[in-house]
Amino acid sequence: MNFLQMVIFSLDQGEYGIDISCVQEIIRIPERITKIPNVPSYINGMFNLRGKVIYAIDLKERFQLDHAERGADSRLLILKLEELMVGVIVDDVSDVLRVSEELIENLSSEIGSIGDNSVKGICKTGDRLILVLDEKRFKSDIFQSIENDMEEKV
Amino acid sequence: MIKLSDLNSCKALAEVLVGLIPGGVLFGLVEGDTATWIIKSETFSIKMLETGEKLDPDSATMKAIHEGKVIHQNIPRTVYGKRLALTAIPVVNDAGEVKGALAIALPKLHPIATAFTDFAPILAEMFQEGAILYITDLEKVFHRHASKKFDLPQLAAMGYELEENDIAYKVIKSKKPMLVEIGPEKYGIPVFIANYPLLDADDTNEVVGSFGIVTPKEVASKLRAISGNLENGLAGISAAIQQLAASAATIHNNEQELNNNIIEITGYSEEISAVSMFIKDIADETKMLGLNAAIEAARAGEAGRGFGVVAEEIRKLSDQSKSTVPQINKLTNSIKTKVDGASEKSKGSLNSSQEQAAATEEITASIEEISAMSEELNRIAKDL
Repeated sequence: MNFLQMVIFSLDQGEYGIDISCVQEIIRIPERITKIPNVPSYINGMFNLRGKVIYAIDLKERFQLDHAERGADSRLLILKLEELMVGVIVDDVSDVLRVSEELIENLSSEIGSIGDNSVKGICKTGDRLILVLDEKRFKSDIFQSIENDMEEKV
Repeated sequence: MIKLSDLNSCKALAEVLVGLIPGGVLFGLVEGDTATWIIKSETFSIKMLETGEKLDPDSATMKAIHEGKVIHQNIPRTVYGKRLALTAIPVVNDAGEVKGALAIALPKLHPIATAFTDFAPILAEMFQEGAILYITDLEKVFHRHASKKFDLPQLAAMGYELEENDIAYKVIKSKKPMLVEIGPEKYGIPVFIANYPLLDADDTNEVVGSFGIVTPKEVASKLRAISGNLENGLAGISAAIQQLAASAATIHNNEQELNNNIIEITGYSEEISAVSMFIKDIADETKMLGLNAAIEAARAGEAGRGFGVVAEEIRKLSDQSKSTVPQINKLTNSIKTKVDGASEKSKGSLNSSQEQAAATEEITASIEEISAMSEELNRIAKDL
């Protein structure tokens, strides 16, 4: 039986899971984020994490969810997506969960084909419903049109 | 003049008159210089003339015989001990020669004494609380009348002989009226005695007796006692109220202190809230630490399995710590609610104690007014 170990975080009311292998660490949102000119507003800017440049992405804004204020629980999830270090701002990081892959249902093909979202499945555990993100599609979904610019900088 | 022939009818008339004249009378027939016939009232107590006794040649009767005319003379007290009014009428024979005289002696009475039996019963009842009326001569009480309402048999008893300390005695000596109040220790009840000297109608320098009126002062005395009691009672109430005011002030201070304590408690519960926020921060930090540890453990693969368990425990611990925060907040909120209630009540008590203090002041003012009235009452009672 294959197990999937996920880091669970929340955006607005919903819970999301991402494979733990791409998660580097969880930090508080840095006070100083340097803005980057002429980029979509969901790219908050960049900051220095122990000598490494990290881009801060407001994931709620990117996913076009109800924009809520950042709270005391808001965290920055440092992901390593194909050698690119990205910090996504989420409402809360609540858990590290180990679930059987069998518990993960695929998103219906009708929904999956609409728009660009990185959700690859739904994990039902207890009465929780966790949207499981596809870390491989995640990077291209985040950066879309600006991906090329970013790669140039890296 | 009386004719010898009329003498028998005169004697008969005299026998009737001795029984009729109030105060008594004495009739005496003198022939030559010797008393031959004497008749007198039973009440006539003066020893002045006996049958067969020779008269003093200077006496009024002898003068009437010598001069052959009717003589009136007032005989002073010094002669017989009592004042007398003497009338001597010569007795003549048919030839007009004076053979003797008929002497009529009447004790001389002051008009007040004469009228006493008439006015005393009326006057005595005219006093609201009744009265004792009495008349003395220079030595003793000889007229007395007491009202139906009030009498003190031991006071100015009939025939009582005056002593130096008696008011009547002093009045006779000083010839001046006296108004004296006597306390209850002497006669059982307080009395008021007014005594007036009786002066001779002919010689106003001479005192012949005294007239006294005794009235009870029971009502005034009772009034005085009551007003005295009232004053004492009021003083007691006043003292009690002052004590009340003092304890009201204590309550006020205690309430104030209580209020301050409550404010302090509110401050403490806010501090507790701050501490619980700190706990929440630590729990958040611990949770993040646990999550990062789990991530590290996952990256370490199989080797990090044990560390993963520790990370899991740390997360649980942080969850538990965090769950205490709402509990603490709930408790501090309960404290706040209760304290607010207590504060509200203490403010109510504070207001009540202030109202109480105000009411006490009002009562004190009223008591002072009543005290003043009772003092006035006491004064009036003393003047009665």
